[in-house]
Amino acid sequence: MTGRGGAKKSRAAGPAPPTTTLVLDNGADTIKAGFVSDDKSDGKPRIIPNCLARDRHRKIYVGSELEKCKDFSELAFRRPVEKGFIVNWEAQKEIWDREFFDDKAAQKCDPSDTRLILTEQPNSLPSLQTHCDQIVFEEYGFASYYRGLGPVFNAYRDIQSIFRTPQSTIDSPAQVILLIDSGYSHTTVTPILQGRPLHPAIRRLDVGGKLMTNYLTRLLSVRHFDMRNEPYIVNEMKEAVCYTSLDFKGDLEKTWKGTRGEKREDYLSGAGIAKDYVLPDSHTRFHGVVRDYEPGVSARARKGIVSTEDVLTLRNERFVVPELLFNPSDIGIRQPGIADLVKQSLLAVPIGLWPGLLANIVVVGGNSLSEGFCQRLQTEILKRFPDECRVRVARPEDPIISTWLGAANFAKHEHASKLEVTKQEYEEHGAAWVARKFAAGLGLDP
Amino acid sequence: MNNFGVIEVASQKTKNAPGWAYVPDTGLTPAAAAALQPLNRKRAARDKANVGAPDLTARQDAKIRKDLEALDKDSHRDAQIPIPPKAGGTRAQNKHTPNVRKILQSQKTFANHLDDFQAFLALAESNPQLAAHVNKPTPTTTTTTATTTARNSPAPSTITTASSNKRSSAAPKRAAATAAAAAAGAKEEKGGSHKKLKTQPQPKAVAGSDDIEMADGPEATGETITPDSSEPFPPPRPDTPTSLEPSTTATPPPTTTEQPNIQSYPPDGTILPAYNRPPPTPHPGDDDPLLVSRVPPFPTDEELRALITAPPLSYLEARAQWTEEEEGRYPARRFCEVCGYWGRVKCIKCGARVCALECLEAHREECLVRYGL
Repeated sequence: MTGRGGAKKSRAAGPAPPTTTLVLDNGADTIKAGFVSDDKSDGKPRIIPNCLARDRHRKIYVGSELEKCKDFSELAFRRPVEKGFIVNWEAQKEIWDREFFDDKAAQKCDPSDTRLILTEQPNSLPSLQTHCDQIVFEEYGFASYYRGLGPVFNAYRDIQSIFRTPQSTIDSPAQVILLIDSGYSHTTVTPILQGRPLHPAIRRLDVGGKLMTNYLTRLLSVRHFDMRNEPYIVNEMKEAVCYTSLDFKGDLEKTWKGTRGEKREDYLSGAGIAKDYVLPDSHTRFHGVVRDYEPGVSARARKGIVSTEDVLTLRNERFVVPELLFNPSDIGIRQPGIADLVKQSLLAVPIGLWPGLLANIVVVGGNSLSEGFCQRLQTEILKRFPDECRVRVARPEDPIISTWLGAANFAKHEHASKLEVTKQEYEEHGAAWVARKFAAGLGLDP
Repeated sequence: MNNFGVIEVASQKTKNAPGWAYVPDTGLTPAAAAALQPLNRKRAARDKANVGAPDLTARQDAKIRKDLEALDKDSHRDAQIPIPPKAGGTRAQNKHTPNVRKILQSQKTFANHLDDFQAFLALAESNPQLAAHVNKPTPTTTTTTATTTARNSPAPSTITTASSNKRSSAAPKRAAATAAAAAAGAKEEKGGSHKKLKTQPQPKAVAGSDDIEMADGPEATGETITPDSSEPFPPPRPDTPTSLEPSTTATPPPTTTEQPNIQSYPPDGTILPAYNRPPPTPHPGDDDPLLVSRVPPFPTDEELRALITAPPLSYLEARAQWTEEEEGRYPARRFCEVCGYWGRVKCIKCGARVCALECLEAHREECLVRYGL
């Protein structure tokens, strides 16, 4: 009681509340950043690579400077975010400084007159959260600040339009959704009720885009070229060619070459699965190109006919990689797949919530862009629940920036003013108080 | 029978003689046999079946572990990329607060932080007094339960009472420990700006506001989270047919303010063609006891309240794991290590899986290099 009253009083006495909000979805791979204010808002965030990159000429690119990079071969990365959480503040501060606070920054912002809304991944470590709060207030001095779970912000989007449900009113936050966030570091399942995460039911699978890219790198290195120093190129390839198989056994059968001497017909023709991928040569081509499989090409290459391009024929690599999300045990990870993740999460909530959660499954994050992902997920989830449960899985059009869009809506929502902490409050109560306030969240307040 | 004068004497003694020896018949289980007569201690250790993946040897297990660690890395080689010097104007301010300086200079990785956190939890479990002492200046309050300040109660009961490691029952301890860890993190900064930390005025502030939030909770959740507005707090219904809602094939999502979302399910949806069923308009078959769908009992208000106010799990608790009964329910799929097809053949030498002869030959080359003939 006293704490609240005091906070209100101090806020009234302090400077006027900031009018603009910097919404920052600080992902491990990219930062999604944009400003929101009452009168004008960025409709879409700017996507900034969250890394320091070094090319083979030892030139270093910081954050969005990577756009200037032309030659992506042997690009090495240093990332401030590890496992979804900001760990290395030295690097993170450098990137933030260059993007937001320097004189020539692309999105210049004055922290003392700005509110910051920052996303974080669920189940962070307390020490990392404290570091984050301290940097925000003590180094940058934002006027006010809220650090919230990334998945939860999605509840402030118009969820039913993602499902294409005709409706008269838009609930904000959405009443009940089950959010699956499959990003660079990991995949999380978060049931959300009225904008409040159900903490005991949040589950994480340590398979993300990074692991999948590394796995593709390994497959290619065993079967084709050594690509271990080319994370950028392999990642590009993964995004271009990988898809989620709806019939894993069948597809695997089609891509098998057969026993010795025998070349199966499906193998020779490609069966619609094999694709040729032309690697960038860093002279004329800087990005890879996907082509339909031509049976002759690789054979010609093998015979030594000079070709100017390096072509990889990708067969089961295309669907084995996203398969890791559904069957992590394929490479020995002793964790359940994403559908079992949903099941384990739901087992932690009362059964009465199941119908609502299952009918409103939203998938965000870059991995969900792989073709067939939602369909596969839906069939897998259907198998694990009673027939009567309606399972709807939907992916917003823009799964990568979905969390940002939700957070932008949140910034205008009344919940934001309820949850934020001002600089004054931080100075008065300290970091531990702030951490507790953020952890408590909305509580049962309407 | 004349056995060339040799008389066999049954004995329990075994003897490793060159040539042959009598050994006791130890039954059929190879594991027991291996335990009784280990040929080679090293090999026995290597081939020992491990719990999770019974058909993997320790060597294969180690290989998988190593591979996974490699897959988890950001880059193949450890890239030490320094922060480039500023190109243009230098930033004016170079004065950080002590906390910030400490954070910026920290070279800890996530694994280090995780280890620290685990060490802290272990400390809190074994020696709550000391753990509480570690962060004396700040109160360790749990977010949901009672307030327990380290200052006025040296041995917080919330920490000592929770001893089980189960996910559910560890909640209070976890909350306390988490808050304490946050406090410990906050304490690092003590030297700097926070003279207020020591004289923190309201250790009960948060708990107090929590109490208030919970106090005005009931009517809020009562009106928002009940499935049908006619009965505000439906008790868990028994599974008798009388309690089944003779509604429709479509179970409305139960957390709704009022009824309108009954019609919010469309007859079709391009995203979900599998659910192309008639819309839940009144239907003569609705009352047919064979067609009604079972509506699960809606959670009580208390359940929901506990669920919403529960503290976050820790990083390790949130990691999904197989439960004991599920572990090994389905055998892990094995793939050819060369081409990626099903691994149907096992290499005799190293146990790696391959699909057929062609891949086996490719594998042998590698196997020879690694293990010799």
